[in-house]
Amino acid sequence: MNEPAVVLGVIGSDCHSVGNKILDAFLGEHGFRVVNLGVMVSQDEFIDAAIETGAPAILVSSLYGHGELDCAGFRERCIERGLDKVILYVGGNLVVGKMPREVIVQKFLAMGFDRVFMPSDDLEEAARLLHADIAQRQWRRCG
Amino acid sequence: MSAMNEPKTTVDDFLAQREQVLQAWPTGAAVRLDEAIAYQRTIPESKRFASAMSAAKAQRRLLAQPRAGMALVDEHIKLLKYLESEGGADLLPTTIDAYTRQNRYAEAAKGIEKSTTAGVSMLNGFPAVNHGVAACRQVTESVSRPVQVRHGTPDARLLAEITLAGGFTSFEGGGISYNIPYAKNVPLRKSLADWEYVDRLCGLYEERGVSVNREPFGPLTGTLVPPSISHAVAIIEGLLALRQGVRSLTLGYGQGGNMVQDVAALRSLKRLADAYFKEQGFADYELTTVFHQWMGGFPEDEAQAFAVIGWGTVVACLAGADKVIVKTPHEALGIPGKEANARGLKATRQTINMLCDQRTLESAAVDREIAVTEREVRCILGKVFELGQGSLAEGVVAAFAAGVLDVAFAPSVHCHGRILPMRDNEGFIRIFNRGAIPFDADLVAYHRERLEERAKAEGQKISFQMVTNDIYAISKGQLVGRPR
Repeated sequence: MNEPAVVLGVIGSDCHSVGNKILDAFLGEHGFRVVNLGVMVSQDEFIDAAIETGAPAILVSSLYGHGELDCAGFRERCIERGLDKVILYVGGNLVVGKMPREVIVQKFLAMGFDRVFMPSDDLEEAARLLHADIAQRQWRRCG
Repeated sequence: MSAMNEPKTTVDDFLAQREQVLQAWPTGAAVRLDEAIAYQRTIPESKRFASAMSAAKAQRRLLAQPRAGMALVDEHIKLLKYLESEGGADLLPTTIDAYTRQNRYAEAAKGIEKSTTAGVSMLNGFPAVNHGVAACRQVTESVSRPVQVRHGTPDARLLAEITLAGGFTSFEGGGISYNIPYAKNVPLRKSLADWEYVDRLCGLYEERGVSVNREPFGPLTGTLVPPSISHAVAIIEGLLALRQGVRSLTLGYGQGGNMVQDVAALRSLKRLADAYFKEQGFADYELTTVFHQWMGGFPEDEAQAFAVIGWGTVVACLAGADKVIVKTPHEALGIPGKEANARGLKATRQTINMLCDQRTLESAAVDREIAVTEREVRCILGKVFELGQGSLAEGVVAAFAAGVLDVAFAPSVHCHGRILPMRDNEGFIRIFNRGAIPFDADLVAYHRERLEERAKAEGQKISFQMVTNDIYAISKGQLVGRPR
């Protein structure tokens, strides 16, 4: 089976590059073809890459606190540009200040993200979920 | 060693650029150099950054400084006052938000608007350019400690103009240290030129009797940076700043984690910088040092985070640093609130007070590491100078293009990123793959030997997985990323 492509990047004016490089290597070793856009990626650059490569999933990182501002309207923009089925993950330190996990997760789910991750979450588990979500999305598309 | 004969920027060149710089955002119009210098002259000695650093050095004291910045002027002032009174900070920061750092002032404006509506800061720092000169003066006048601008801006020309006119007395950054770790695709020639402008501006203040402290950003990517790499960058940025008339210079280093390596690193930084500055003909400057508490990933657990903060402070004391940059128990979660920030300061203060009379650590291992680091820096800088053929800035551009200067895990496309660091069996940061960094063969062998020792102890071959484990080790409660 072909490895599914996933678009990876750090959104907005964020230049945290270390985790991005680690995620790139990790996902590459766990059955994904990683299209890594690196740091400081705009919503449209994520979407352009997903359209060009046919990637079923976009993985957005934000570490610097502007996650809420940068991710606002991302789902709507995807739909507007014809990516109505794309899987959207977001992870990192997503807000300014300390906020309970559930509050952050709810906030981003309400913005249209499919899953929300914190820095302490297990990468193996995230990769498993991503494979499952992609498989399910593609099955639905065929059906 | 060859002399770098770069000319000081002429006043004409500077003024020609200046008009354009000040037009980049409407608040630039309020900056008038003569008025700004006259205003800076009214700031009392007790609030001047250069004086505080100089006094700390003379009295062998370690000053504590947090990072902090909020979107709105009033809440930012409240934050600084709290860190001053409750946190007992010796020196204050104003951390600039990430949109301003990328010159995206329109987005910063939106962030200010949304923060006003939400009633909380939605930005990760203080958007000083948008707020303008008068608001900056309001900030610096509302506290009694010296205040520094801390950021990560490749093109900080307008930010420097506004904040210096606004009463800030120290400015962090440099053409390499605020490009390579902070930008994706800004050419080095551009960032070096833009920082030449900033240094020249500071030099102009200096020439007219107003001392502005300059601090190149030491830790770079904050991720397993070998001391010789960050030292090479710090010394280059120091030389470039001195060339433009800067006189108060604070060079930095980010905690690596092994005490011997960190103590040796800070001492070698001072010795090397002084040696290079003198070799290049500079005598009239004051060099101080700053030690950054652990810049990599932190444990989420607050008690564990406090241990990391305390350990960094111990090493800063023993290494003889003049200033320590303080982390907070919420570091793992991103931008801290003011309470968490003050608690980081208190933990740091307790440790400083307990170590203030035992500020030294002598050992053969420290001497060995000083010798190794100094030789490495000389290998790198020797090649940079050679490539520059008389121009240090050109040497830097050529050195990054050739991988002679290389920083691991940096976002910039102008950096090879082929150097691969890793911890040895005692937690020293060593170089597994040096890329094109021009170390002598025996230095390369020394690193390799040390790493083989760890691999043997762990019963595995040296691999990239070890690097990954090392990066996350401290956040998971250890220094060396041992196999699970």
